[in-house]
This record gives sequence, C-alpha cells and structure tokens, in this order.
Amino acid sequence: MKYALLIYSDEAEFDRLQDTPAVAGVMEGHRAFAVDMGSAIVGGSRLESPQTATTVRTRGAEKSLHDGPFAETKEQLGGFYLIDVPDLDAAIAAARKIPMLSQGCVEIRPVGA
Amino acid sequence: MRRDPARGSVNGGCLDRTARAAGARIIGALAARFRDLDIAEDAFAEACARAARAWPSSGEPRDPAAWLYRAAERSALDAVRRRKVRDRWAPSISGPDVSEPAAEDALIPDERLRLIFICCHPAVAAEARAALTLRLVCGLSVPEIARAFLVSEAALAQRLTRAKRKIARAGVPFETPRPPEWTQRLDAVLSTLEVAYAKAHEDAAGSSAHAGFAREMLDLTGVLAELLPTHAEPHALAALVRYAEARRPARLDEHGAMVPLSEQDPRLWRRALIVEADAFLAKARSLGPAGARTLQAGLHGLWCARPSLDAPAPWPAVLSHYDQLLAHREDVVVRINRAVALGEVSGVAAALRELGSLDPAALAGFAPYHAVMADLLRRAGQREQAREAYRRVLALAPAEAERLWLTRRLTELG
Repeated sequence: MKYALLIYSDEAEFDRLQDTPAVAGVMEGHRAFAVDMGSAIVGGSRLESPQTATTVRTRGAEKSLHDGPFAETKEQLGGFYLIDVPDLDAAIAAARKIPMLSQGCVEIRPVGA
Repeated sequence: MRRDPARGSVNGGCLDRTARAAGARIIGALAARFRDLDIAEDAFAEACARAARAWPSSGEPRDPAAWLYRAAERSALDAVRRRKVRDRWAPSISGPDVSEPAAEDALIPDERLRLIFICCHPAVAAEARAALTLRLVCGLSVPEIARAFLVSEAALAQRLTRAKRKIARAGVPFETPRPPEWTQRLDAVLSTLEVAYAKAHEDAAGSSAHAGFAREMLDLTGVLAELLPTHAEPHALAALVRYAEARRPARLDEHGAMVPLSEQDPRLWRRALIVEADAFLAKARSLGPAGARTLQAGLHGLWCARPSLDAPAPWPAVLSHYDQLLAHREDVVVRINRAVALGEVSGVAAALRELGSLDPAALAGFAPYHAVMADLLRRAGQREQAREAYRRVLALAPAEAERLWLTRRLTELG
C-alpha cells in the first residue's frame, strides 16, 4: 500500500540552527532513512521554505493568488516521502524513523488508488 | 447478550445464546479472511436474520454456531462478488464449499485476538475504539453503546462508520502486531478496554443501560487474558474489572447514596468474583515485575481481602501501593488518591500539605480533587473551607449517588 509521509517541522528552528551539527544530523538522518527503507521509498523530496510558497485559493468562481503557504502555522510542510509498504503499521514504523529537530510531526496519508 | 434486534430475538433462546457465545468468533474469522469489518459485520447480521426465519420451521441445527458461521460466510462471499472489488485487495474466495449452510461441525477459526487488535488500533480515536470493540467484539447494539457514551445514536453510528472507514482505507493490518509495535498496540487494547469499562463502572446503581455491559467487560477481559497467557497486563486488567464488579452490590446505601470503599460492608461483596480476581492477579504477578496495571489491580485486591468492617482498613499497604505507582509515573489522580491514604496513615495535616503541593488552577474543574479536599478540611475542623469545597464539587454536577453523599456531608457540617 502506498502512503505519503508528510513532514511538518518548525522552519524557524531550522533557520536558527542552520550550519549547526543539529541540522547536519537531521540531513544525515534522512540519508540513513533512505538507505534503510531502500526500494520502499518510491518518491519524495525536501521542499523549499514556506516563504517561497504561492497559494491559489478558490472561493466559488473566484481564484485568488496569495504569497505564502495555505495556512500560517508554526509547523510547516517541509518535505515528504512516498512509500510503498504492506500496511499502516509498517508506515507508522517508517514515520517514527524520520529524523527531526526538537519537534515536528509526520502525517501518514494513504495514497488514493 | 447480542441484543441487536437484527440479530434475531424472534426465536429467542437458542439463537440469542449462540449469537452471544459465537458472535465475536464468527465476526473475527470473517474479518480476518475477508479483511473487511463491514463485510464481516453485515454477513453475521444477515446470518442471524436467516436463522430467525429458518430455525422455527426447520428446527434448531445440531451445531447452531457452525450453521451461523456457514451462513455468514456465504453472505460474505456474495457481498464480495457484488462489490466487484479491485484485484489487489480482493480476498481469495477459495476455501470451503459454502453452498450448504447447514453443514455440520464447521470449525470456526479463533481470530478474536486479531479482531480486538483491529478494533483497538491506536490510529483510531480512543472513544471510537471502545465503541467499535463493544459493537464487534461484545455485540452490543448501537443504541446501547450510544446510551453508555451519552451521545446520540446518530453520532455514535457516525463514529463507528468513520472508524471502520479509517481502518479500511488507511490499511490497518488485519494481523496481530509485530514485535516492534507490540507494546504500544497492546497498550492501546488495554486502554480501550479501560475506557469501555469506565463507562460500565460509572453507573454505580447498575440499573441503567450501561451496567448491562459490565458483564461483557468481564467476559472480554477474561478472553484477552486467555488469548495472551504470557502477558501480565491483560491478567491485571481482568483482575481489576472483577474486583470492581465484586463490590458493585455494596456501592450504594439504601437511599441510593454512594458508600466510600472504606465504609462498604465486605459481606455484600461477591466472593466468587474476588476469588477469580485473586487468581488473575496472582498470574499477573507471576509473569513479571509489577507494571502500573498490576499495581492498580493490587490496590483493589488489598481492599477486597478485607473480611469485614470490623477488620482494620488496609491503609498502610494502600499508601505503599500508591508510592509504587507514583514511582512508575507521575499522575495527578494517583497523587490525590494517595493523599486520602496518607490522611488515614499520617494524619489529616500531612494529607492537606500533600494536596497543597498540587496546582489548584489546573484542578479547578476536577471533582475528585475538591471532594478529597472537602473531606480532609471537614476532618481538620476547618468547617467554613470544607463547606466551600463541598459546594465546589456539587457545582461540578457529580453523578446522583455522589451528589446524595456529598449533600449529606455538607448538611452534617451545619
């Protein structure tokens, strides 16, 4: 079954700790995760900062354009993996292995067939 | 009892008994095979409806459970064919020839453990887990569960539908968990049963709807311990539920007011349940170092060992159990209960000091905190503050039995 692992983290913390061993450790953690998961990872990427986001919002017939991510929250979507594993328990086990700084979340969403 | 009308009360006796005894097994076996809770549940309901029509004229089958299983299996296969499910999750529909639902002696695979783990998966919301377990494993009807959870039937039905949809679409495995997930998954099962039992226990009088499923909780915790013979915590939970149910006849006085544990007459307690509970607790203790659930059950065991009201209450041992529980994890409810025991062992002043160390703002809406505080202040002779504390608990709308008891204490204060 395919799942998207959506990684939400505190961008400010990443910015604050840029060029420190903490961030380098997270990056190394992602490489280790990719090796560990092997062919179970079928896609994914880091995303550029939410400040670079542009949002097209639909309200009825109207489409409006906004600078920034769809919601202003402390934790923002920072990247995602697309994985193919047997079931939710395997997806949860994978999500637990995703490296984080001091806080963050991984949302596990089954990919629609 | 599986009391769902769709599950047939028409020819009552035999069908009801069979559905109750074998329902979880049949639904579990179908769910494990077809990997779909809806199909399993609907097929079982349909089998019961068919039995209600067929048995009065054809007579009860020699093995009613096997008859229901075969009939349910056939309904499930029909449902699968009708759904034209996509190949990748279509179950294999080979297997026994099901053209003859009256075939005798079909062996129903025991997949109840898998069914319990599916219903209690931590990815499902806790209250939905409890409701789903009561529905599928205990066979309670939607109206019964809705009454126990104090929600409308429509809301409960929607909660169940959502939970089943999540299980189906999110890929919750129809397997017992693998080692890395085992601890967390078992904990989710046990906490689900605790949520469900708390609903059954709340009703002290035992007269309204949810007291009915206290019996199902006795069954279910017993089954779980039986299915997991080497795990301490399911045995501890089975013990705890039995101790608590044993005391049910003594929980209210003749006016319907609650009777505190230390004032309950042990002669009213149900001895047979205490004997069963003692055995489960001894087994739990033999299976490893005492965890939080074993300690909780041990606390109940201390009280239930009291032979009569003339015998001293086991306060020193109770206090030591609370100390051990706190060593496991900091828990404000445990600290409030510990303060009660401390008051009995070391005096009211020590207990008030202990309560004083808790954050009153965080506990403003927590009735047990104010109730314990009120009792301690009353015994310390601080009448005005005690009255104030009693009024605070009463303002938090306690259950009727507690309200009566608290009001009596407040009146006694003058």
